[in-house]
Amino acid sequence: MELHGYNLPDDLYYDANHFWVRDDGEFLVMGMDDFAQRMAGEIVYVQLPDDGKKLKAGKKLAKVESGKWLGKVLSPVDGELAGVNEELETRPELINQDCYGQGWMYRIRPDDKSPLSELVHGPEALAAMLEQDMAKYAQE
Amino acid sequence: MQLSSEFRENFEERILQCSQCGFCRAVCPLFAVSLRPAFNARGKMMVLKDALRGKLDLDEQVLDSIFQCTACANCSHHCPSGVDVPGIVKAARREMSQAGSCHPAFTGLAQVLAQHGNIYAEEDPPEFQRPLNQPAEYVYFAGCVGNYREEEASETVLDLLERLELNYTLIEEACCGGVLGDLGLEPVAALAQANLERILATGARTVITGCPYCARTFLERPEYQPLRDQGIQVLVLSQLLAQLELPVTTDQRVTYHDPCDLGRHCGIYEEPRQVIAKIAPDFVELAHNRDQALCCGAGGGMRGAYPKNSLAMARRRLEEVEQAGAEVLLTDCNSCVHNLRNAKLRKQKIEIYTLAEYIGLLLDEAS
Repeated sequence: MELHGYNLPDDLYYDANHFWVRDDGEFLVMGMDDFAQRMAGEIVYVQLPDDGKKLKAGKKLAKVESGKWLGKVLSPVDGELAGVNEELETRPELINQDCYGQGWMYRIRPDDKSPLSELVHGPEALAAMLEQDMAKYAQE
Repeated sequence: MQLSSEFRENFEERILQCSQCGFCRAVCPLFAVSLRPAFNARGKMMVLKDALRGKLDLDEQVLDSIFQCTACANCSHHCPSGVDVPGIVKAARREMSQAGSCHPAFTGLAQVLAQHGNIYAEEDPPEFQRPLNQPAEYVYFAGCVGNYREEEASETVLDLLERLELNYTLIEEACCGGVLGDLGLEPVAALAQANLERILATGARTVITGCPYCARTFLERPEYQPLRDQGIQVLVLSQLLAQLELPVTTDQRVTYHDPCDLGRHCGIYEEPRQVIAKIAPDFVELAHNRDQALCCGAGGGMRGAYPKNSLAMARRRLEEVEQAGAEVLLTDCNSCVHNLRNAKLRKQKIEIYTLAEYIGLLLDEAS
């Protein structure tokens, strides 16, 4: 859905740092949302850990950098890294160009998907989060 | 934009020294990845000559030529005419910045530094949970990259200093401020003042840093003259480690990247190798080493303003590491290690560390 000029599909789950999570059945797929990629500016580096990396919910999965910002990607669930978007190794700008499509970042094999219920999901919750963060960053 | 009379007086003759032989193109890391003549030293001198003759304005159309440079000094190091390219480029950037033609990545940098004390506008200081602003024999100065982009490496280095029973303290760091001069911007006096006050308050006689660029700033910039007046020594980590016994070895095949700020700019090549000789008998040199070293691409503001070319230069350096057959790449610079790590491809099985970080990790494994 389009919200205050940002594209935020409301069928995705979102964490507090504006990383989206898509439930693809056996796997979860993660990326940066439109608000995050615009705030970050041109993405210049995406850390792509090895497949098989053990993940813990709320713990750092990887790092992402733009010229002016370093962000930590936190895993939404316990599980294992099942794949990464290798295109981002040499074309990290795909995140800015197509953050929900070609700019996807990580594929996770979750031990348990229930923590997704703690993420922001649905039009109303998404609108509330976005408006709060727009106000926060406008002040800064 | 008219070049100032001061610029003409100080730099016209130096610019005209360039005979346009092109020797610099063979060694320019930026030309190697971009193939753009305007970006390498000869091209820069041609632009400046035309500007001196009134044929060209130093404005946005030549921004990339003047601001895209790592300041690695490989050009001037090989210049048969002795052209001081880094000095000229710095002055040209100053002319352009004062006329309002600064690269957009840098226009607000002085303000960012004045407000946040670091080049990344990070608000929260690093949480190393170590002695801070305490009386000590040594001050460890991590620098902006060490504090905000390679914190884990810095943690490992601090662990090492403690294992070596070094009586050190951290200070509440402000950016050394050296980057402003290189980008043609006015220094922010408060940065040096803060660092000087905090260093002097510790009573330390030696400042150790993980950043050769910070070391050069402390050793060369006029705003840090009080440090030198007090006889306070400034060392990079390898200079310190070369003096110490290191109770650990590895059988990994190791190589070393000479940071431009440590090597070509300061002439320090042997101490890092002396340290490596103590811990890693299987050492191989990169094809371009010591004063011939290829730049990692991070310096001169490149990583902030031209990240694609910056990382391309780092990738080129990593190709040499692969050709050397090394498993481990060591360097003595937080900025180099950051750029090289970011540039490393997944398929490249190369471990990349600062020298001190690697020693710290070896000690961790051994204990």
